[in-house]
Amino acid sequence: MRRKDERGHWWTDGGVERAVIRIVRALSPGWARRPIARRTRLHTDLGWDEWYVLRVAKPVRTTLHVALDDRALLSLRTVGDLVGSVWSRMAAA
Amino acid sequence: MRARALALALLLGAPAAAQGQDTTRAAPAADSAHRASAPAAADTARRWALLIGHSYSSARALLQPATLVLEQEHGAPLYSVVDAGALLRSSLAPRAWLELGLRARAGSARPPGLRAYGAMARLFADLDPVLVAGGYEYLADGHFAATQGAATVELTPLGGAPGLGTWVSPALHLRWRPWLGVSWGGGVRPYARAAAELASGRVEAGLEATGWLVGGNALGFVQGDVSVQLVGGLFLTASGEAGRAPPRFEPGGRIGLGLGFRLATAF
Repeated sequence: MRRKDERGHWWTDGGVERAVIRIVRALSPGWARRPIARRTRLHTDLGWDEWYVLRVAKPVRTTLHVALDDRALLSLRTVGDLVGSVWSRMAAA
Repeated sequence: MRARALALALLLGAPAAAQGQDTTRAAPAADSAHRASAPAAADTARRWALLIGHSYSSARALLQPATLVLEQEHGAPLYSVVDAGALLRSSLAPRAWLELGLRARAGSARPPGLRAYGAMARLFADLDPVLVAGGYEYLADGHFAATQGAATVELTPLGGAPGLGTWVSPALHLRWRPWLGVSWGGGVRPYARAAAELASGRVEAGLEATGWLVGGNALGFVQGDVSVQLVGGLFLTASGEAGRAPPRFEPGGRIGLGLGFRLATAF
């Protein structure tokens, strides 16, 4: 299954997941060589506090061309939630 | 001498985060941890989030369990100490949201001058790389004799320094966050606040310090807690505070131990 971002680029679910994990890894000190998966918890495992999660908005916008609103970001619990949030905002083929 | 025969703390809350604990963080997507593969999971976010903790003064304060401590003094009636806060959050725009809060530092064991009741409304704007909050808070002492309304503007960087907003490293679960602000109400009061959290397994500790510049004098207030998660949102918590807090800025301090419960929910 493929979906289209706001600039018309096509993405697969796996492609979105890999891109999101790269973004999350870049924002998580010490996680460069540690496994990050959908089930990885943003707050408990990565240690992001309530506001730190807002930092993903910009790289998601520039890399995946999807605008996430802050209310959705504040409710995220896992990397999988973030993948799902991005995917759900892409247009179905 | 007061003998503490009974200490019972009721912890409600925490939005977010203890963050060290799953039970504290934002609720809407909480159930999605086990269905992370569902693409639209995050879109189920509810419109309102209710967060209950020690106070609404900061994310850390909301992680601190709200506490109710009962103390008995040689056959006299029980004395109580209450520290609690509740926060209601809703989205306003893609990069902004609204928070409404109530808080109380009360209880019969506290002199009225050291009690405080507050209500506030504030707007957050995400201006990456900083987060800005503007709001208005009403504070009253125990007799509602000293009241204070103040508009506030404060900001914090989202990240960028070691441990700022995220663990220092996977092995050291220590993080901190600074806030700088100004309040207007009965004069202009610049203030700074810093909160630090340390988590290890079921144990978490937090320290929050706030300093105000009031009439040329520097005043400070420090509060901290050490909590052990017993089960779910139930904690055993030791907490303490010292210094001068608004609205009266009278000196005071206390240490308490109790059980607590923390909760975050959405609707």
